Amino acid sequence: MKAYLKNAATAGIIFGIITTFLFLINFIGTAADLIGDITKSRPGSSILGLSAVMFNQLIFLGLIGIWAGARGSRKDSRLEDTWKHVLIGGALAGAVHGLIAGSLAFLVGSLNTAGVKINEYLSQILPEVIRIFLLNKTPLQGALFYLVFMTLMGMLGGLFGRGVLRSTWRKNIGARRKELWNSLTHHEKVLKIRANPLTRYVVYGLLLLFVFLMPLQIGQYWNYTVGTIGIYVLLGLGLNIVVGMAGLLDLGYVAFFAIGAYSVALLTAPTPHNLQWSFWLVLPIGIILASLTGILLGIPVLRMRGDYLAIVTLGFGEIIRILSKSVLLTPFSGGPKGVFNVGAPTLFGKPFNSDVNFVWLITLGCLLVIFVTNRLQNSRVGRAWEAMREDETVAQAMGINTLTHKLMAFAIGAAFAGLGGILFASRNQFTGPEDHSLMVSINVLSLVIVGGMGSIPGVIAGAFVLKGLPEILRQLENYRVLFFGVLLVVMMVIRPEGLIPGSRQKLELQHTDKSQAPPDTADASEGSSPS
Amino acid sequence: MPMLEVHNIHTYYDNIHALKGVSLSVEQGEIVTLIGGNGAGKTTTLRSISGLRKTSRGSIRLNGEELGAYKPHEIVSKSVSMVPEGRGVFARLSVAENLDMGAYIRRDRKGVEADLERVFEIFPRLKERRKQVAGTLSGGEQQMLAIGRALMAHPTLLLLDEPSMGLAPILVESIFETIQQINQEGTTILLVEQNALMALSVANRGYVLQTGEIVLSDTAANLKQNEMVQKAYLGME
Repeated sequence: MKAYLKNAATAGIIFGIITTFLFLINFIGTAADLIGDITKSRPGSSILGLSAVMFNQLIFLGLIGIWAGARGSRKDSRLEDTWKHVLIGGALAGAVHGLIAGSLAFLVGSLNTAGVKINEYLSQILPEVIRIFLLNKTPLQGALFYLVFMTLMGMLGGLFGRGVLRSTWRKNIGARRKELWNSLTHHEKVLKIRANPLTRYVVYGLLLLFVFLMPLQIGQYWNYTVGTIGIYVLLGLGLNIVVGMAGLLDLGYVAFFAIGAYSVALLTAPTPHNLQWSFWLVLPIGIILASLTGILLGIPVLRMRGDYLAIVTLGFGEIIRILSKSVLLTPFSGGPKGVFNVGAPTLFGKPFNSDVNFVWLITLGCLLVIFVTNRLQNSRVGRAWEAMREDETVAQAMGINTLTHKLMAFAIGAAFAGLGGILFASRNQFTGPEDHSLMVSINVLSLVIVGGMGSIPGVIAGAFVLKGLPEILRQLENYRVLFFGVLLVVMMVIRPEGLIPGSRQKLELQHTDKSQAPPDTADASEGSSPS
Repeated sequence: MPMLEVHNIHTYYDNIHALKGVSLSVEQGEIVTLIGGNGAGKTTTLRSISGLRKTSRGSIRLNGEELGAYKPHEIVSKSVSMVPEGRGVFARLSVAENLDMGAYIRRDRKGVEADLERVFEIFPRLKERRKQVAGTLSGGEQQMLAIGRALMAHPTLLLLDEPSMGLAPILVESIFETIQQINQEGTTILLVEQNALMALSVANRGYVLQTGEIVLSDTAANLKQNEMVQKAYLGME
């Protein structure tokens, strides 16, 4: 078989599997709803003789079909693209894709008419879902429809993705955009403004003003979301110090978040202790407690590296959660139910606890943490962490006290998380064991990786992508974990250094061209066995 | 009094008795070399001196002061600097940043600047490439960087662990010339090498290490003539 045909068939099979999978978890239905929301189509209306839901579903499936065709008609490296390759490749990929999707439609349709209750096995696949998937037709008709539909979409995809049209318009647009951008950024006046030191302060001032005014406008729901993102920025920046800068893989980071949350909860709430201290007094106490816990965890794991460290910290995070949940400690910690009526801050005797106030407070916390992180990065301590992350033994040989620097990383990272926990519990007026599950650690680590390790803007971007996007795409809530997984895999493939990588990571990936090195490049990676 | 005096040290890797009573001494201004085969304990000796490996018995004295109780980073501040085995440059840091890390313990900015000039004088190649990421340097350049970085701590005693490892013969020669030059400028050197011929041709004195014990010690010239050394390490029959 010719290479391009083989390639097309493979793409068809892969996309067939993807479509099947998306159907089985009923992502197709969710996507149709989402498209309905975006296009504002009324649920009852009909388009081209199809109900709105069915039509939207076809839009989604059509997009997948086009994608399959685009992948399937991938250029044979030895040949120029020709219309024949594009059309036949796209059609073959689409046909295989359609064959699989059609078989699926036929199978579930027949089972459904035979009276098998598929939703007993796959909870998402209700008879209604099957009916919509089959577009109100018999299983055979539905199957044939998908075969034809996907083949056509595949051909379209072939034209769209690999077509003769593509290369020319793409090149043109790319060049024109670059030109426009350069003419803007390198214009004399722009350069002059950029060189002026005042510009920076003006930009900062405007940003600050925006951050200050925005919460007043966006309403309670979005304030809550922005606040959550802000708290994750705090957590991300803290973990960034431990993992990104010092290179210590900490999977139990949520423990420090919990310590912060519980210290504010137990010291300010009426139950279980009725201490009711002031928020501002508890704030430093909580931060200090969290960083002491960081040191406490740090001491026993100082000699561990990599995987072992990850496992021990993972356990530590769980221990804190399980302790807070335990019956034995219920009189002290509030137990599984958690602590209610956590105290809120006051300002000049007035309550300072509206949703807007908390956004301000969290933003202030973020700014503080960003400032501290920035200073640390360029300090002696930051350099020591960097060296330690690269090679611990050599760092020692440079005169760096690795023990104290590791503890310092743990303590500072934990302090940031503690601050996050305090703000979180105080804002929600509640904290309980379920707020501090392993998922928080994983979320934070994911956002640091996705955003770009060792980079402050990266962490912020990561928090927006991983905590903000799911809020915007509310309907996808059920698929959040799937989304995470896909996002992480995609990121690792196309942008392993993260969205906005730190300068170090970028350097590493830019200069991997070994061919420049002179021929005496004997391998440096000799074993370090004792000799 | 010798600058460095190692007396009867024993070092273990768990159950493996790696050093079985090694004694050696280095006088001010000397180049002393420690030669031996794979697994003889050369690197372990250096690591014991620099504190990266705890010794279980014996004493290590620097200008009469016992080093045993000090941590590795404290030993660096006693003007003992090490070029680790396999160079150990910080691959993701630039050349300039690597050199900067070498001066980590120092606070005298002027002295550091002077030493940076000196390193660039010894290795002009590093000056050309100071913005390049160290991981992309060639093997020879990385060795230069490792030595330069150690010099940035302004050591009085420099410990070199197999600088010739994995380098082309012509580069080995130039590295050893540099080592001699550094020594002439006043730095005492303890050199661990497998390349016995090169090591003995630059050193004043040498020790031969076999399975954790010193079996021979003499001036470098005498060792070169020694039958056992010729047979085992210089490949002569």
